[in-house]
Amino acid sequence: MFLLLPFDSLVVNLLGISITVLFTLLLVFIIVPAIFGVSFGIRKVYMKTLLKIFQWATLRIERGAKEKNHPLYKPYVNGIIAKDPTSLEEEIKEIRRSGSGKALDTPEFELSDIFYFCRKGIETIMDDEVTKRFSAEELESWNLLSRTNYNFQYISLRLTVLWGLGVLIRYCFLLPLRIALAFTGISLLVTGTTVVGYLPNGRCKEFLSKHVHLMCYRICVRALTAIITYHDRENRPRNGGICVANHTSPIDVIILASDGYYAMVGQIHGGLMGVIQRAMVKACPHVWFERSEVKDRHLVAKRLTEHVQDKSKLPILIFPEGTCINNTSVMMFKKGSFEIGATVYPVAIKYDPQFGDAFWNSSKYGMVTYLLRMMTSWAIVCSVWYLPPMTRQPEEDAVQFANRVKSAIARQGGLVDLLWDGGLKREKVKDTFKEEQQKLYSKMIVGNHEDRSRS
Amino acid sequence: LPCAQGTHPLSPLSFPLTVTSEQIEHLHRRFKQLSRDQLTIRKENFDSIPDLEFNPIRGKIVHAFFDKRNLRQESDGLADEINFEDFLTIMSYFRPIEMNMDEEQLDRFRKEKLKFLFHMYDSDHDGKITLQEYRNVVEELLSGNPHLEKESARSIADGAMMEAASICVGQMGPDQVYEGITFEDFLKMWQGIDIETKMHVRFLNMETIAHCY
Repeated sequence: MFLLLPFDSLVVNLLGISITVLFTLLLVFIIVPAIFGVSFGIRKVYMKTLLKIFQWATLRIERGAKEKNHPLYKPYVNGIIAKDPTSLEEEIKEIRRSGSGKALDTPEFELSDIFYFCRKGIETIMDDEVTKRFSAEELESWNLLSRTNYNFQYISLRLTVLWGLGVLIRYCFLLPLRIALAFTGISLLVTGTTVVGYLPNGRCKEFLSKHVHLMCYRICVRALTAIITYHDRENRPRNGGICVANHTSPIDVIILASDGYYAMVGQIHGGLMGVIQRAMVKACPHVWFERSEVKDRHLVAKRLTEHVQDKSKLPILIFPEGTCINNTSVMMFKKGSFEIGATVYPVAIKYDPQFGDAFWNSSKYGMVTYLLRMMTSWAIVCSVWYLPPMTRQPEEDAVQFANRVKSAIARQGGLVDLLWDGGLKREKVKDTFKEEQQKLYSKMIVGNHEDRSRS
Repeated sequence: LPCAQGTHPLSPLSFPLTVTSEQIEHLHRRFKQLSRDQLTIRKENFDSIPDLEFNPIRGKIVHAFFDKRNLRQESDGLADEINFEDFLTIMSYFRPIEMNMDEEQLDRFRKEKLKFLFHMYDSDHDGKITLQEYRNVVEELLSGNPHLEKESARSIADGAMMEAASICVGQMGPDQVYEGITFEDFLKMWQGIDIETKMHVRFLNMETIAHCY
């Protein structure tokens, strides 16, 4: 026999009522607008309020630090050492001149030649360009997330209380809300696309598929509290084209797909991702590859070309960097997608780091940890620019075309245009690059040596 | 300052260090990045620096970090791993001249830097740079050129070695064998090159906020 005290039943009732109220609010304010693609503007108000609070918090830290007379460390984004811009030839000439007085055109090797490479080596050990790109961009004002604050120790009581309140709100209110939304979004996507998949092919199916996709992505956007500003929407990708964007995190897909209807390209995964992928492809033709097929570049290119040539099929969404970069620069684009010959629609995505760092450092965090970090940030604020379409000119090859697109994206997003290969994060530098520096030096020494011995 | 577990990495060092605490802080962060948050670095950790791959004498530079002679340890040979203090020791060979150094300090400073370079050449730690060791360095520096035959590299090295011999020993008789460049000879060859103003890495000024008001 289970005795329920009157107090207990009251608690149960209250709980039931509050959950119902919560879900109704959820439905009305978040899910229904997502379905119809309208917005109440709640998120923008939220963002403005947060900005005001952050400014106040930063001022407090600075004031507090000044009172205690501690210097504050501003994280240094441009590197810590002064690198000399002189070239290999200049330096070696200079050293030789000051030494034995021999000019560079007497080609013998000098003992002092080693010095240039030694110093360059030590400089890169102290501070190198590429690895810096791969850690999270360092902030200048504090956003009440302890994970981004180096000056955390210098906080006053009021600020600590505010931070504690922030933690409470983020972990106990926002996080469950977001998880509920994400869950809703994903399950709706899977069931929706499966149901639509049973319909006969035709305009009705297309219409429904598009709206199911859009609706679910919009719910996911709200699940992350992503506040996105789209610019130049008249340049949005059309059928038969390829949409190309810079890559900072897996969230990029959700951001772009909530504003347009794309065919995704990717490798089939197992687990939850695999379930989602298989459901999606029932409703509309996405391009999924088996793991073995991914290595075969010709097969990949062939399938993409077939897809692109069918004008009724959707624009493909591709991230040519191949990996996540920390959103301060754009790395080398892999040329595969640019060889296909379709119209390329570049898109630049720039995240505002003030509200939450969206960069996925895959060597540091796994996917689940990353998603949890995203869901416990304040918000994800980003801007998306749709750039005018580009096609490959007859006199340029795929690599040059890729670089041209990359520059356009970098310029628009205010990111640094780097020639480096994003794959460096995991692999080592290809040998061809290594040879360049050595070739230059040996040419200096040997080229002249051969001339001399010949004469 | 973020501390590694165990002893504070900035406990009294055995040599005079005039980098500021901010610079140490930055080097420490770099150290932690290279060591992946471990207390020590091994040779493999240097593989994670893509820029370093460019460098033809990469092997020698990395080697220099583990060379016990550079780490000012009494014993000889190679260390397997180094901690932050050792890292700072090696970095200290590249600190810039200070204004208030007198003649003797300047001379010692210069000798230290040249000793570092000497150790790079002298790979078998016998205190002499032999012809073979010289050849090794030249070959490494010229190794990036696929068109260069080994013979050419060799002959360049030999020519340079003869030059070095003539500077150090003067005219040699036909039977004399030049054993190798000792450190004193090495110093002679660098005369006139003011290495102490060139062999350094300068820190940019760290900005601090609070004192600007």
